[in-house]
Amino acid sequence: MDFLLILALLAYLCGAFYSVVLFVTRSESSDRYLIGLLALGFVAHSISILMSWMRLGYFPVVNPKEVASFIAWAIVLYYLVIRARYSVRALPTFVTPVIFVFMLVSLLLPEPVQAISPALEGAIGASSFGRWILPLHVTLLIFSYAAFVLTFVGGVMYLVQERELKAKTFGSAFYRLPALNTCDEISYLSLTIGFVLLTLGMISGMIWNNQRDGRFWHYDPKEVLALVTWITYLLMIHYRLAAGWRGRRTAWLSVLGFLVVLCTWIGARYFPGYHVFG
Amino acid sequence: MSVVLLGLSHKTAPIELRELFAIAEQRLADALTTLVSHEPLNGGLIISTCNRVEVIASTQRPTHDAVSALNRFVREFHGFRSEDIDRHTYVHSELDAVRHIFRVTASLDSMVVGEPQITGQVKDAFQKAQQAGTVGSELSRVMSRAFAVAKRVRNETAIGQSAVSISYVAVELARKVFDRLDGSTVMLVGAGEMSELAARHLRNVGASRVLVANRTLENANRLASEMGGEALPFTDFEKRLHEADIVICSTEASHYLIGSDNVRHALSARRNRPILFIDISVPRNIDPSISGLDNVFLFDIDDLENVVSFNRTEREREALRAEAIVDSEVKRFADSLAEGDVNEIIGAFRREVGLMVELELNRSRKRLGPLTNDQEEAVRALVNSIVSRLTLPVIKQLRDGDEGFSRYIEEWRELYHRSDKGR
Repeated sequence: MDFLLILALLAYLCGAFYSVVLFVTRSESSDRYLIGLLALGFVAHSISILMSWMRLGYFPVVNPKEVASFIAWAIVLYYLVIRARYSVRALPTFVTPVIFVFMLVSLLLPEPVQAISPALEGAIGASSFGRWILPLHVTLLIFSYAAFVLTFVGGVMYLVQERELKAKTFGSAFYRLPALNTCDEISYLSLTIGFVLLTLGMISGMIWNNQRDGRFWHYDPKEVLALVTWITYLLMIHYRLAAGWRGRRTAWLSVLGFLVVLCTWIGARYFPGYHVFG
Repeated sequence: MSVVLLGLSHKTAPIELRELFAIAEQRLADALTTLVSHEPLNGGLIISTCNRVEVIASTQRPTHDAVSALNRFVREFHGFRSEDIDRHTYVHSELDAVRHIFRVTASLDSMVVGEPQITGQVKDAFQKAQQAGTVGSELSRVMSRAFAVAKRVRNETAIGQSAVSISYVAVELARKVFDRLDGSTVMLVGAGEMSELAARHLRNVGASRVLVANRTLENANRLASEMGGEALPFTDFEKRLHEADIVICSTEASHYLIGSDNVRHALSARRNRPILFIDISVPRNIDPSISGLDNVFLFDIDDLENVVSFNRTEREREALRAEAIVDSEVKRFADSLAEGDVNEIIGAFRREVGLMVELELNRSRKRLGPLTNDQEEAVRALVNSIVSRLTLPVIKQLRDGDEGFSRYIEEWRELYHRSDKGR
C-alpha cells in the first residue's frame, strides 16, 4: 500500500463527506474546500501513478487493482474539467462517492501474485508498438468510462429531480439539484464524449489485435461485452437524435448503460478468454 | 460613540400612522440636515419605506440626551404634538440599536421575512445620507457591517431562497425545469391578474417571448403590447401550443381547455422539449391526467399554494439560524468597538507621553549645552528606550483586555481626552 494512494483515498472520502454535508444543509457557501480536497487527492494520486509507472517500466493499468484506481483518477479529472462549465453544486455530491468507491475497491483488491501476467508482458514486450498501444487503448477506454459515469450521474440526478417535480413534494433534493435541462445536458455531453472515446478505444484494441496475430476480432467475452456497451450507447444517441427522446427515458438508458459498463469491466473476468487483463 | 434609533414599523404602527411618518424622497436631504442639527447628534441616517421608518443617529454624548433629541426631531419635523405616538414607536440605543439595524437590513424584521428588497432600500437610504453628508464615520461603520451581516445571512441560510408568493413559485418551478429562461416562450391562456404577474416575473428573468390568448382580443392586445408580446385569437392557442415552454392558464371556462391530445401533439412538434403548465383557474382548465406524460409538468393552484406554505415554514426555520448569525455579529461588533476604544486610548497615552518627553528635553537643553548630531541622537535614544520600557507594561495590560483593567478605560479616556482638548 502506498502512502500517496491512502492520502488520495482520504481526500476523496473527506470530499465525498463534505459534499454530502453541503447538499443536506443546502449551504450556499463556496465549494472551494471541496475542490481543494479533490485537487489534493488528484495530485497525490497522479504522483503515485507516475511513480509506479517509472518503477515498473510499463503503464500501470494491467490488473484490476490498477484499473480501478485509474478509473477513479479519470473521473476526478473529468469532473474537474466539466466543473468549469457546470458549476452545479449537487454534482460532486453524486460524483465524489463514486470516485471514493472505485478508489476503495482498488485498495481492497488483493495485490496480484504476478504484477503482470506473462502473456501480457510478452504482448507488450513483443514490439515497440505494443509498448505504446496498451496505454493508449486502456486510457481511451477508461476515460470513456469516466464520461459514462457522468452520463449516469446526470441521469440519476434527472430521475430524482423529475420525481420531485412530478410528486410536488419539494424536499432538500429539489432545491439542491440542478434544473432538469441541466441534468439532461450534462448527461448528453458526457454521452457524446464517452461514445467517441469508447469507439477510438475499441478501434485501438482491434488494431493491436491485428498487429499481434492478424485478426481484428476474437469473440472474446470482453470484446463481445464491449460491443454490447457500444451498441447500448449508440442506441441512446440514435434515439436522442432520430426520435427526439430526452428526459426520463434517456435517463433510464444512462443507468442501463452504466450497468453494462460495469459488466464489461468486472463480468468479463469470469469468462476464460483471449483478453489478457483488466 | 454610540448609536441611537427611533422608529416604527408594520409591527408597531398601523398604515395610517406610517403614512404620516414616511419621509418622501425629495424631502429626505432636508430631513437629514435638520436631524443632525439637533444637539448632540453628529451623524444621521433615515430609512423610510412603506413598512417602516427608522431614524438613526450617532452621538458622542450620553444616549439619554440623544434619544430626547431624536424625539424632538420627529415631533418638529412632522408637526406632531401628542405623546400618543410613543405607543407606536420604539427606541433603541447602543448595541440594541446596532442589533436592530442588523436585523432590519438582513430582512429579519420584514413583513415577509427574507424578502430581498429591504436590503436594497437600506443601501439607498445610506447613499442618500452619504450624499447629504450626514453619515459620519461611526454610522458608516455600523452600516457597512450591517450590509456584511445581511450578505452572510443570505449566503449561509436559505432564508431568501424559496418563493413565498404564487407568481414567484411559478418562476421557481420554471427555473427547476429549464434552468436559464433566456429565449423561452411563455403563453398566457386567459389574461388574469395573477397570470399577468407571473408572466412579468418570467419576463424579468429572461423569457423572451410572450403569447397572449384571451377571449376578448382587446385585453390580449393590451397585455401583449405592454410586454412586447404577441396577441392570439383565443381559438389559436391550441395550434400554437408547441411554441410555448411555459403555459399559464387562467380562464373562467368551466371545462378542460387543454387535454392529453393537445399536449401530445405539442410535444411531438417540439421534439419532447419539456413544457411547464401552470393552471391557476378554478375550476381547472387543464386535464390533470397530462401529468402522466413524460416531459410535461403540471401544477394547479393548490400545488402552488402548498409550495408557498411549505416555503413559509421553511423560511421561519431559517430565520432562527439567521438570528444566531446576527447575535454573533453583534457580539463581534461590540468587541471591535472595545478594541477601537483601547487603540484610541493607547494612541492618546502615547501622544501624551511623547509630549512630556519633548518638554523635559527642551528644559534640559540649556544645561546640556550644544550637542553634536551623534550626541543628540544618543540622548533621544536613551530617553525613548526608558520611556518605552516604562510604558510597555501599561500598554500591554490595556491590549490584553484584562477585565479588571478595562474598568478603568472610561477614566483613562476622560483623562487623556481632557488633556487632548486642553491643548
